[in-house]
Formats: sequence, C-alpha cells, structure tokens
Amino acid sequence: MITNPIGVAALMRREIYRFMSVAGQTILPPVVNSLLFMFIFGVAVGQRITFHGTGLTYLEFIVPGLMVMHLISGSYENTSSSLFIARWHNHIQEVLLAPLSYFEMVLGLLAGGVVRGVIVCIEVFIVSVFFLHTEIYHPLLFLYFIVTISVIFACAGMMGALWAEDFSMLSTWNVYIIVPLVLLGGVFHPVSGLPVIAQKISHFNPLFYLVSGVRYSVTGMIDVSLLICITIAFVLSIGFFFLTVLLFKMGYKLRT
Amino acid sequence: MRNSEIAISIKGLVKYYRDFQALRNVTFQVNRGDFFAFLGPNGAGKTTTINTITGLSQYQSGSVQVFGYDTKRNYIQTRRLIGLCAQEFNFDPYLSIHQLLKYQAGYFGVSAFQASRRADELLERFQLRDKRNLKHRALSGGMKKRLALCRALIHDPEILILDEPTAGCDLELKFRIWDYLKQLNNEGKTIFLTTHYMEEAERLCKTIGIINHGSIVRIGNKKDFIKEKNLEAAFLEATGLEH
Repeated sequence: MITNPIGVAALMRREIYRFMSVAGQTILPPVVNSLLFMFIFGVAVGQRITFHGTGLTYLEFIVPGLMVMHLISGSYENTSSSLFIARWHNHIQEVLLAPLSYFEMVLGLLAGGVVRGVIVCIEVFIVSVFFLHTEIYHPLLFLYFIVTISVIFACAGMMGALWAEDFSMLSTWNVYIIVPLVLLGGVFHPVSGLPVIAQKISHFNPLFYLVSGVRYSVTGMIDVSLLICITIAFVLSIGFFFLTVLLFKMGYKLRT
Repeated sequence: MRNSEIAISIKGLVKYYRDFQALRNVTFQVNRGDFFAFLGPNGAGKTTTINTITGLSQYQSGSVQVFGYDTKRNYIQTRRLIGLCAQEFNFDPYLSIHQLLKYQAGYFGVSAFQASRRADELLERFQLRDKRNLKHRALSGGMKKRLALCRALIHDPEILILDEPTAGCDLELKFRIWDYLKQLNNEGKTIFLTTHYMEEAERLCKTIGIINHGSIVRIGNKKDFIKEKNLEAAFLEATGLEH
C-alpha cells in the first residue's frame, strides 16, 4: 500500500518539524494549562468534592480526562492548522505534485497530529505525578486508546481544514462540536452521577467511550463495557482515516 | 518511464469552472526533448492546461498522458516525471530554503543524503548558496523565482513545466535563466513554457502552440511561425488581438 516510503517519511518529518519549531505554542501550553487545572480543580476545589462509587479521588478522576482533552486538542489543532495554512499559502501544491498516493499523503500529514497529541497527553500524565501517586494501570490499552483517539482527531482536523474557507470557519468544528462533546463525555464528571435522561443521552456521545477507555487504562475504573470502548475507538479511527483519504482522492477543495 | 517519444499528449480536453468553459476540446502533443512555448492572452487557458497536466486541476472529459502514462490512472508515475515552476511563490513558510528543497526531494523519494547534496548543487547553480538557511520571505523577487526553479528541478524531472518563469526578472537574471533552460533542453529535458514575452519564445523554443478562449488556434514549428512575419505578428493574427 506504501509505494513511496521515503516520501511518506519526509512528509511525516516535515509535519513533526513544523509543530516542534513552534513548541512554545504547541507543546508547552498544555503543561501550564494542566498544572492549573490540577491545582484548582484537583487540589483547591476537588478536596471538597466527595465521590461515591468510583473509588477514586476527584483529582484521580480528572487526570485521564485532562489527558484525553489535551490529546484531542493537540491532534485536531495540529493537522487543522497545518493543512489550512498549506491551503491558504498554497504550498499544499508541494505535496499534491509529489508522487504520493492519497493514502500516503494522509498518512504523512497525520503523523504531526498523532505525535503532537501523544506528546501532550504524556506531558499531562507527567504533570499529574507532582500531585498524585499515579501509574498507568494497563499500558498497552493506554497506548491503543491514545493512538486511535489521536488518529480520529488528526483526521477530523484535516477534514475541518479542507472544509474551512477562512480562519473563523477553522475553529467552528472545535468550538461547536468537539469541545462540547469532550466536556459532556465525562472529562470532569462521572456520567453515572447525571440524571437518568442525561445519562442516556451521554451514551450516544462517542467521546464518552473514548474518555472511559483512557480512564480505564490509567486507573482501572470503568462504568461501561470496555469492549464497546475498544470497538468504537477502532471503528472511528479507521472510518475517519479512510474518509479523509476519500476527500483527498476527490480533490475536495484541493484541486480545482 | 515508458519508451514513448511523446512527452505530453492531450486529447479532447474539456474543462469547466462551474458554468465557464475554460478548455474546449484541446488536443496537442509535445515531443520528447522539445522546447515547447504555450502562448495565449491572459485567461486563455494556459495555466488551466498546465494544471490538468500536473494533476492540480480535474477535467470533465478528454485525456492527458505523460510519456504514455495517463495522469488520472497512473498519477504517481506521471508526477514523478514532471517538475513544475508555478507563477506564484507558494513556498512552505516554516522551512529554510535548503530544508524546503530537501523535503521536496524527499516527497519525490530522493534519500536525505542525495536530497541535501542536490539542494546544495542547485542553490550553488542559482547563486542562492549563501541564503540556504534563510526562509523564503527574506528573499527578493528574483531570488524567489530562482528558488522556484530549484524546487521544480530538485528531483531531476524529465519534463519541466514553467509558467512564466521570467516574469518580473531583470535582464541579467532573465538571460541567465534562458542559458540554463537551453542547457537543460540540450541535455534532453522536455520543456513546456508559457510566457507573454514573444522574444523569449522566439529565442528558446522549437515548437509553439497558441491558445485563445480555451481553444488551440495554431500550433507548429517555430520556423513556420516566423517564416512570413515575426512571432508577435503571428500571435496577434492567431488570437485576433489588435496591436
């Protein structure tokens, strides 16, 4: 399926180089952000919150949620800004003129989003070590979930970048769809604590299963079927990937 | 590469931008090793034709082949054979010019070591070596033009497509680019050039095609064009434009 491995590797390196060259805007902010979150919500406010049934303190509960939140925003923002700026300046032609299949193009562009997402997710975990005695309960599952989630949102970022005509449109998906789904997916609260109707609605939110999967792999605590979480992460990552490849193949807003 | 003596073959090409028909049954071919000038007034369809050859534009009907490979079905092979120097300066803003060439070569499957060497050679040849660590924004217009040529040549393509390569260049740079293009053509590269400078086409090219309102209005050997009158007069006559 890969006929030009050097080309794919070059595109991957370029995407990683791009966000590393602006690390102050891409890699460091999640550290500051998660430090503040953990201090305010975990230490200052969290000690007054009593949790029943989860077996976790509030801080232990929100750390996996914060990891997913930064994983998603890092992956999404990386590919959306990289591809949109490439369209805006029209240097996307450098890639479109190259002997890369559409599968290879998406794979190469995806790399920056996945690597950035994984880096910021691990950063948040490292920050949590200063507040908690914590360890990854199931490292392989953790790896599975962070890779599949970053693939899903790196692809969503590319789709957003193709759809957007200007910078305000670029943030639309993030502000109106992704952030609400993430926050309602159980990042800061156990869904089981919601009213019954809200619990039922939450079960239609795919982010609920992705957050639950990561929370299980970090803490060992889960209130939904793990198999469903694994399946949803797999199906969405494959689905989003091939949908993005299809958009590239169609030349959607890439070719006139 | 297939053993084809025809570098570019376009048959019955039709292209619409919504309701506007940009190309009307365009048919022509460019032989291997030719230096082909593609002339026409602004908006005639020159860049659209180039974009269909390179795959940057889709088309409604017809076919485009590069050395016998169809640009839709075998797009990976055809892209490997083409180097494009576009009209606009569309360089990656995050990279220095040396990195830019190196990555571009990488996309074409050139190993990192070879890519770095080739980038240095081209920067030397186009007198940009001392600017290798700068970003393109720090370059003058003429330097950007040379960088665009370096980028088009970085993977040593068989066909070089140049969309107004000397527009905005001073005389010295123009002559230097002409000399280099002639040398490349003598080495066997097929060159497809669009220009508004009749002198450029007359000096460099062997074959000339004229497009107007999306249709090819005249095509042939340069000698036939200038047998009776100069190229400018032939161009004005073919396009129906008045002096």
